[in-house]
Amino acid sequence: MLTYEPGDSVAHGLDPRGKLAVQFGLAITVFAYPTPAGFAVGGLVAVAALAAGRLSPVSVLRAYWVVFAFLAVGPILGGVALGDPWFRVGPALDSLRSVARVVPVVFVSAVYVRTTPVRETRAAIQRMVPGRVGRLFGVGVGLVFRFFPVVLGDLRAIRTAVRARGGERRPLRDRVRRILARGLQRSFLRADRLTLALRARCFAWNPTLPALRFRGRDYPVLALGLALACSPLFTLVPGRFIPVA
Amino acid sequence: MIETDSLVHRYGDAAAVDDVSLTLEDGEAVAIVGGNGSGKTTLVRHFNALLEPDSGTVTVDGRDVTEHPVYARTHVGMVFQHPRDQFVAGTVGADVAFGPENLGLDREVIDRRVAEALAAVDMAGRGDERIDRLSGGEQARVAIAGVLAMDPDHLVLDEPLTGLDRGARESVLAQLDELAAGGTGLVVVTHDLRDVVERADRIVGLADGRVVLDDDPGPALDRLDDVGVRDPRC
Amino acid sequence: MTEEYESVDLVADDTVRNLAAAAVLAALTAALAQLSIPIPSVGVPFSLQPFGSFFAGLLLGPVWGGFAMALYLVAGTAGAPVFANGAAGIGQFGGRTGGFLVGFLLGAVVTGAITHRQVAPRSLDDISVPVQLVGLFAGLAVVYAVGVPWMAEVLGISVRAAAAAMAPFFPPDVVKVFVTVGVVEGGHLAIRE
Repeated sequence: MLTYEPGDSVAHGLDPRGKLAVQFGLAITVFAYPTPAGFAVGGLVAVAALAAGRLSPVSVLRAYWVVFAFLAVGPILGGVALGDPWFRVGPALDSLRSVARVVPVVFVSAVYVRTTPVRETRAAIQRMVPGRVGRLFGVGVGLVFRFFPVVLGDLRAIRTAVRARGGERRPLRDRVRRILARGLQRSFLRADRLTLALRARCFAWNPTLPALRFRGRDYPVLALGLALACSPLFTLVPGRFIPVA
Repeated sequence: MIETDSLVHRYGDAAAVDDVSLTLEDGEAVAIVGGNGSGKTTLVRHFNALLEPDSGTVTVDGRDVTEHPVYARTHVGMVFQHPRDQFVAGTVGADVAFGPENLGLDREVIDRRVAEALAAVDMAGRGDERIDRLSGGEQARVAIAGVLAMDPDHLVLDEPLTGLDRGARESVLAQLDELAAGGTGLVVVTHDLRDVVERADRIVGLADGRVVLDDDPGPALDRLDDVGVRDPRC
Repeated sequence: MTEEYESVDLVADDTVRNLAAAAVLAALTAALAQLSIPIPSVGVPFSLQPFGSFFAGLLLGPVWGGFAMALYLVAGTAGAPVFANGAAGIGQFGGRTGGFLVGFLLGAVVTGAITHRQVAPRSLDDISVPVQLVGLFAGLAVVYAVGVPWMAEVLGISVRAAAAAMAPFFPPDVVKVFVTVGVVEGGHLAIRE
């Protein structure tokens, strides 16, 4: 499992907003250009990101092997034909091309996950999404990080309890219903307590925002992200508008 | 100073708090005792406007809490049972900062308050630790720090010792002693007077939503039967 | 010292309650995504993840249910290991199941809109079981309507091939709709007032 770890790499020192821009920008680019040029850009950005985060590609492959395994299924599904010749190379290659563009995005997102603590993502959300929606998302994301292990612990405990009482012999539906009903009950109980605590601590729309420092080296990162995000326009402009004009 | 005047709170037809008039002075250490369903938790949740009265009024320093909820919540801090469900952030420092951030304070003021609050609960310098990895007693103390960072005059603790092991109880009690010595008013809601009684200036007993006992600890101990609470001396 | 903090703009009580419920339900969805029960007779694992989306729409309504699922997706993008098998990151959306993640959000919105027909969630006692079932099936349809073409696009295969690949998962998902209604109708679920 790949999660945040403190460190002093270049990527650790970057502002989360620039890093988010590169991720989303890259996702847009690779989907807009399933071409050799697109792959080259994706590959370059991915290699640069891994270097900046001092993250080994092997550890990414290990952490996301399920994703990669599912992606590898694509070309097989694409090539299989019902009837002669049973496997067609053309569609399989098409599929391979589709699948390949996802790979750099997975690597870049892994670098983000490894090098960015939650509080920075929260701060970035609250600064980028305006007003009350940004406040709710900022606090909400922090709460999901906080409560995920707690609720997971609840569910595991409930599953163990159901099993201990001979639940294995009950039909699946019944077992699932018990786990869900108790899981929901405990979750809503926790939500009630959390509600009180938030209110008692003056949960407000207009707090002091967490500190974020946008420094000189963040500008090129942000510029790269914006350029990637706008890349589909580069073809539209000369390809569609200029000739018509 | 917290004052309730003829406070009534109903759940459906049943009155959980029934005509309670109380005055809690600054710096006073009060134990509010009663059995299950006696209304003690409902009563204290009115002190900082977490509930609204069906009739009667609650004021903090003369200000009506319904009209001035921010004033009430910053001057009367409240710590609930189950500290695990009160945290909003993954690390100690980020969580303790949540209250002061909501008050819109400057970052330097927030940092100072967080440091002071952590020092007050014996957690100085541990702001970067993950809350999930703390012991139960440490979590209880961080929950207290999160409220102290708002700089309250009164601290209300609802069953602060329930579910804690011996060591954690001791550590929480030691913090409460220090706070009381520093002049913070303490209101401890409990069904179990062990460890609390020798620290209280005053004991208020509730039964069926009414105050049936309000006295110094000495005389109060002899009348605990009225509130259905076990005598800690037995 | 008597600080007044008059500029503090408190979040309304209802909003705090809905935010807390949405965050905890997002956490529950994340936790459910880590559990699946193998059913050897069918050949595919019985994933509990879809229940998160079903509950979100059914219990929190279209807006807050959708918000809960959005929080789940944003938390995953931000690096919480909340997707199936403890995965995280925006790369997940490029994965085979990425469309289903987005489908869970839209499905919760549709389920909530059909069952509650208003922003604030109503008590489920006031919503008949058939309406709940219609809402849940519509939500499930949306999950597949987004997930299958998305999968086809990611894998570069035909929608038909993607649908064939996902077909074994559909009957268990139908069972989940009925289980969901059973759970919320069971009476042992304390929905706050």
